[in-house]
Amino acid sequence: MELRVIDKESTELSIEIAGEDHTFMNVLKGALLELDTVQAATYDLNPEQSGGQTDPILTIKTDEAIDPLDVLGEAARNVQQKSENFRDAFQAAS
Amino acid sequence: MMVPVRCFTCGKVVGEHWEEFKERAKEGDESPEAVLDDLGIERPCCRRMLVSHKDLVDIVSPYQ
Amino acid sequence: MTENFEVQFIDRDERTARFLVRGVSPAFANGLRRAIIADVPTLSIDSVRIIENSSVMFDEQISLRLGLVPLTTPPNEFEEGDIVTLALDVEGPETAYSGDLRSDHELVEPADTNIPIIELKYPETADSPQRLELEADAVMGRGRDHAKNQGGVAVGYRHLQTVVVEDDADEYSDSEPEILRGVIEERAAEHAVATDGTGEPENGALVATETFDNDLSKRYPDKEVSVRDVDDAFVFHVESDGSMSVDELVTNAADSLAERATELEQAVQL
Repeated sequence: MELRVIDKESTELSIEIAGEDHTFMNVLKGALLELDTVQAATYDLNPEQSGGQTDPILTIKTDEAIDPLDVLGEAARNVQQKSENFRDAFQAAS
Repeated sequence: MMVPVRCFTCGKVVGEHWEEFKERAKEGDESPEAVLDDLGIERPCCRRMLVSHKDLVDIVSPYQ
Repeated sequence: MTENFEVQFIDRDERTARFLVRGVSPAFANGLRRAIIADVPTLSIDSVRIIENSSVMFDEQISLRLGLVPLTTPPNEFEEGDIVTLALDVEGPETAYSGDLRSDHELVEPADTNIPIIELKYPETADSPQRLELEADAVMGRGRDHAKNQGGVAVGYRHLQTVVVEDDADEYSDSEPEILRGVIEERAAEHAVATDGTGEPENGALVATETFDNDLSKRYPDKEVSVRDVDDAFVFHVESDGSMSVDELVTNAADSLAERATELEQAVQL
């Protein structure tokens, strides 16, 4: 997973997350949108055959007070937490 | 020629059940529907793999 | 954010399972489904060295068939890219089965042993029987790169649904079947009839629609009903091709999501 910042302002961030696809990006986007400090979050992912930019680009807009990179870190932590919670719940049931 | 190993659509292994299906439904007199149900081949995509298959090895082998 | 997931099995066998998960967002449910299909690595034959092939099929055709044979993939034993070697040697007149494959690792073997690979003959005109001898390398790979590495088959989910009884059905109308598939959460037990060995209807019970022939008019006779989705509750159907158990498949998929999130978190902090 390699990150490349494309555009960074105080409340806006565009970042390329190389090597990921919808599987992770959509989960991450979902986790971002659950945060109150996030105003908008989306990602753009072109198909392999398109030839151009085929790695996903994540775009985040946040409230005034918070750095979008921190928000991204928090969302990643939440995804990790969720996955682990799910695994534990699943193992407890099986 | 030989039975497909997996269902083209969903990827379930169907080759495993071919010989039993052939024996019971194609050569025997059981209904293909009942045999497929019994073998646990539920989805239509997997069922057509067996129902529509024909072994061709015996037909082509003289020409090898 | 502390979320509590609740997992409940509806039915399970050796290779299939259906379970309800409460408290998942649609995004997470789909991520999990995709991870089960494409991101859980399994072993499958990737390259084949043919020593002798006098069968009626070309080397490439045989290799394709071998690639599709599911191999048991023991947990925590291999990493992506690891190789296990298998060998096959069969002489006609006999059929070569997947079960004839011998591997050099005791825990790796064909998950199904009855798959015909190729029927070998001993034609009367030939002076020797047809023969297939080969060595094959199985590689640990992911479903994202090749479908033969997909551990999960027909993995999907549906919303958990619930039935609301609106009213009595019109007395003189013809009763029409109302087809519904999936699992319902019983919330109108007083109107339901017991079906197919599920016991007395009880509020809160999970009822698979097969138990009433997927027909709501059999479960709630003479009632007018409507169906609602239950929020954030999904019923997963997971079927394994035999390379690993359903439990492993699901836990590995959840781990792969967690791993990527950890990696991202660390990358962001730098």
